[in-house]
Amino acid sequence: MTQQHTGTVLDRIIEGVREDLETRKASVSLQDVRRAAAEQTPALDAESALRGSDPASVQVIAEVKRSSPSKGALAAIEDPAQLAAAYERGGASVISVLTEQRRFGGSLADLDAVRRAVGIPVLRKDFVVEEYQVWEARAHGADIVLLIVAALDDATLRELLELTHHLGMHALVETHTEEEIDRAVAVGARIIGVNTRNLKTLDVDVDMFGQLAERLPREAVIVAESGVLGEEQIRLYAGHGANAVLTGEVLVRAEDPAQTIGRFREVGAMSRAEYLAGATPTAAQEELAAAQVSGEASARDAESLRHAPGPYFGDFGGRWMPESLVAALDELTETFDKARTDETFQDEFQRLSREYSGRPSLLTEAERFGAELGVRVFLKREDLNHTGSHKINNVLGQALLARRMGKTRLIAETGAGQHGVATATAAALFGMECCVYMGEEDTRRQALNVARMRLLGAEVVAVKNGSRTLKDAINEALRDWVASVETTHYLLGTAAGPHPFPAMVRYFHEQIGEEARAQILEQAGRLPDAVTACVGGGSNAIGIFHGFLDDESVQLYGNEAGGDGVQTGRHAATITLGRPGVLHGAKTFLMQDPDGQTVESHSISAGLDYPAVGPEHSYLHSIGRVNYEAVTDVQAMDAFRLLCRTEGILPAIESSHALAGAREVAARWVAELGPEEAAQKIIVVSLSGRGDKDVATAGEWFDLLPQDSHEERVAQKGEQL
Amino acid sequence: MSTTEHTPAGLTERIVPRDLTRSADSALSRRIEQCKAEGRPALVGYLPAGYPTVEESAAAAVALGRNGADIIEIGIPYSDPVMDGPVIQAATTQALANGFRVEDAFTVVRAVAEQTDAVPVVMTYWNPVLQAGVDEFARRLKDAGGAGIITPDLIPDEATEWFAASEEHGLDRIFLVAPSTTRERMDMTVSAASGFVYAVSVMGVTGTRDQVSSAAEDVVARARGAGAERVCVGLGVSSREHVLEIGAYADGVIVGTALVRALGEGGPQAVGELAAHLAGRD
Repeated sequence: MTQQHTGTVLDRIIEGVREDLETRKASVSLQDVRRAAAEQTPALDAESALRGSDPASVQVIAEVKRSSPSKGALAAIEDPAQLAAAYERGGASVISVLTEQRRFGGSLADLDAVRRAVGIPVLRKDFVVEEYQVWEARAHGADIVLLIVAALDDATLRELLELTHHLGMHALVETHTEEEIDRAVAVGARIIGVNTRNLKTLDVDVDMFGQLAERLPREAVIVAESGVLGEEQIRLYAGHGANAVLTGEVLVRAEDPAQTIGRFREVGAMSRAEYLAGATPTAAQEELAAAQVSGEASARDAESLRHAPGPYFGDFGGRWMPESLVAALDELTETFDKARTDETFQDEFQRLSREYSGRPSLLTEAERFGAELGVRVFLKREDLNHTGSHKINNVLGQALLARRMGKTRLIAETGAGQHGVATATAAALFGMECCVYMGEEDTRRQALNVARMRLLGAEVVAVKNGSRTLKDAINEALRDWVASVETTHYLLGTAAGPHPFPAMVRYFHEQIGEEARAQILEQAGRLPDAVTACVGGGSNAIGIFHGFLDDESVQLYGNEAGGDGVQTGRHAATITLGRPGVLHGAKTFLMQDPDGQTVESHSISAGLDYPAVGPEHSYLHSIGRVNYEAVTDVQAMDAFRLLCRTEGILPAIESSHALAGAREVAARWVAELGPEEAAQKIIVVSLSGRGDKDVATAGEWFDLLPQDSHEERVAQKGEQL
Repeated sequence: MSTTEHTPAGLTERIVPRDLTRSADSALSRRIEQCKAEGRPALVGYLPAGYPTVEESAAAAVALGRNGADIIEIGIPYSDPVMDGPVIQAATTQALANGFRVEDAFTVVRAVAEQTDAVPVVMTYWNPVLQAGVDEFARRLKDAGGAGIITPDLIPDEATEWFAASEEHGLDRIFLVAPSTTRERMDMTVSAASGFVYAVSVMGVTGTRDQVSSAAEDVVARARGAGAERVCVGLGVSSREHVLEIGAYADGVIVGTALVRALGEGGPQAVGELAAHLAGRD
């Protein structure tokens, strides 16, 4: 077999490898090695392991490596088996073991030890130049071998690869250049590594991966090698489509390698999801460049949950939408991305928030209400915003974007009417045409809000199909939008729907959480123990959670509408009882029957009467950061009355679910910690809206309306629905 | 995050697997090629399964197939049909109220496959497929004799599972393109599709229209420019005149709402009569 002369460090290494190989061949014949290989249990499927079961995941090849030519001694690994076992525990998919002795301090003994310790595929990492080494790898239980294209001519590469496959193993075929990639593809490589270390200089250029990745065939398993110092490089590689990342130095030096692998997999999966969903590789490069400049800040950002950009939140989100609307969603995404870094836009949005909505909204300690619960309660007073709820934040932001896009008409869906009123308000303020879709049942439940919208100049369309509630209003708004997209912006009212809506709506509500966090630090001198918010689509909740997501000590609760009770089937407790599916453009938790037909939701609160939920909430639920709990109509109305009587504040019925949620949390603390300790606890409640619109419903619920009054008739109509 | 800055090649390469089959040899492709050879557009008829009942929908689909439809789209009624206008919404709502189950769609597909020469495909919103399991749904459709799926709310960007399942079971992927589709997305979608590309003639939902929008011809031309070999036009088609007009530039003409209305008013027989009229057989 001919030796490739590379003019690089490889030549010297391989000289040594050949000498050692001759020594081994003298003591163990090829025949003996082949016999030992035949006696081995069949090789594990490294290709599947590296591809992973979830396309949006990134696998880690964790390497047992004592030293390297570029860094010298790395770590004294006393027990490679123990290290490998930790790698496996941490979620590594393949363990790589260096067996080259002279430069890397490895040995076949290390390979044997690791093989015995783990149940996942093991890679023999060496400089394979002869078939003997492939047999030897199999004889020692390896499932995958490394073949370095630069070190082999085409014929040898092909022979070694064929033998590897013949023995049931896989090969990680390592490349450094476009030409080497083409050679790897030509010989039928199924797992292709891109090593970002320059063989001549031994320098690593992680950006090479992005340049080379474009040349890689999609069907191959792509492995990024070298240069991993931390999460940034994982994100970069995964963002360019790597299925797996090989890393050693950072792991052998880590205090807790298992945890490091877990984190790598997590951040890798996020970046890979973005890659699959179409993030620009150049954007990922720019992000890395910026991250390198900002140093520590980047390390914080990588772990932060606060700024998830979409389109995917873990397995949730995306764009499950008709093609007709995709161009409009792209235009909106682009406009939004530009606006968030545009000072003029920021100034305008902040000015309107301050001078029109009345921000910042107050944080009010509810002392008498808190005393009833046995804890300290602070209310984030979104009810005091212009139009009476948090909805105005998002509406002003999107209306500004609509104006930038040259749209002259706003359409919106509304459940309780709060978002419809806010949209009609913005349309009046900006001189735009406005059409609001509202389920026919909701127009009766919220007759006063229908009148308010009409007073503001909006057309209100009562939607008569389906269950005649919020979801059907969204369907109808989407049908309008498909036909009117050139002139019309669909001003979606919650943090749901297709990308960019979930991330964009959250962005406009982030001020709720940012203000609340600063205010509670100022007023109570510390962070709260818990935050509660009601969740229908979940916009006020994601806004207030945003402020606290990275504060591990703060428990977050999303209160869903439990309607008549979660055991009755008449509720809107989507996360509590639903399962993942696709509705209105996003993959998220849904209330649905076994066929995937949406099930009608029920709640006394029109604003929470929605059978899906924003995808970021599904994600926060899936990782356990937020607890989602159902609150029944009865619990919500009791909390509604309690706040009226103790604080002189009339909450929206939606927000009353968060008050009731706080009451449950408080009751648990009182029971677990005793009254004295519980009294020191602090809960911040998102009081997302005021209850003026709900007076008729509440009057009927508590039987407070005069017999035969107009209001009683209106309320009864609503309640009988 | 924006997808608008990509080169066309970038978008296609990122979304569409390289080795995807776009065989001209599928039953669907062959049928359209055969129509081309006969110098006429393929007539594609839509009917929802289970409307008004499963039996009657099967009878209507068979009547459609025996009276000139080359391809039959069996629609799966869905609770939230955002791309459908009032007529089809009312029909599918009734089907659901009458107890339609997704598995009933396979019964109707099987009836078309066994009792007519027409090629059956399914048109469905994606959540019912997702809940059945994409691969399982594809397997059952293939078993029933179905040739592919038209996906009004699934774009190639989200179709990873569907790519795999359609390849595994030899089904055609009929994606939609619209007047608003950008050049980049047209290239990408055409390379992801097989069988035919469904050109939406107007920006809007299903429903009959007096005139078929002039945008249709432009969408077809752009789809061909992106390499589409077979393009059918849908939305708004209701008369023989439309069929002839669209047939002058497209490979197939898709009729839905008019057939659903005929079924509601005159049963399977009326569907057969309308099909014969649309096919120029009356």
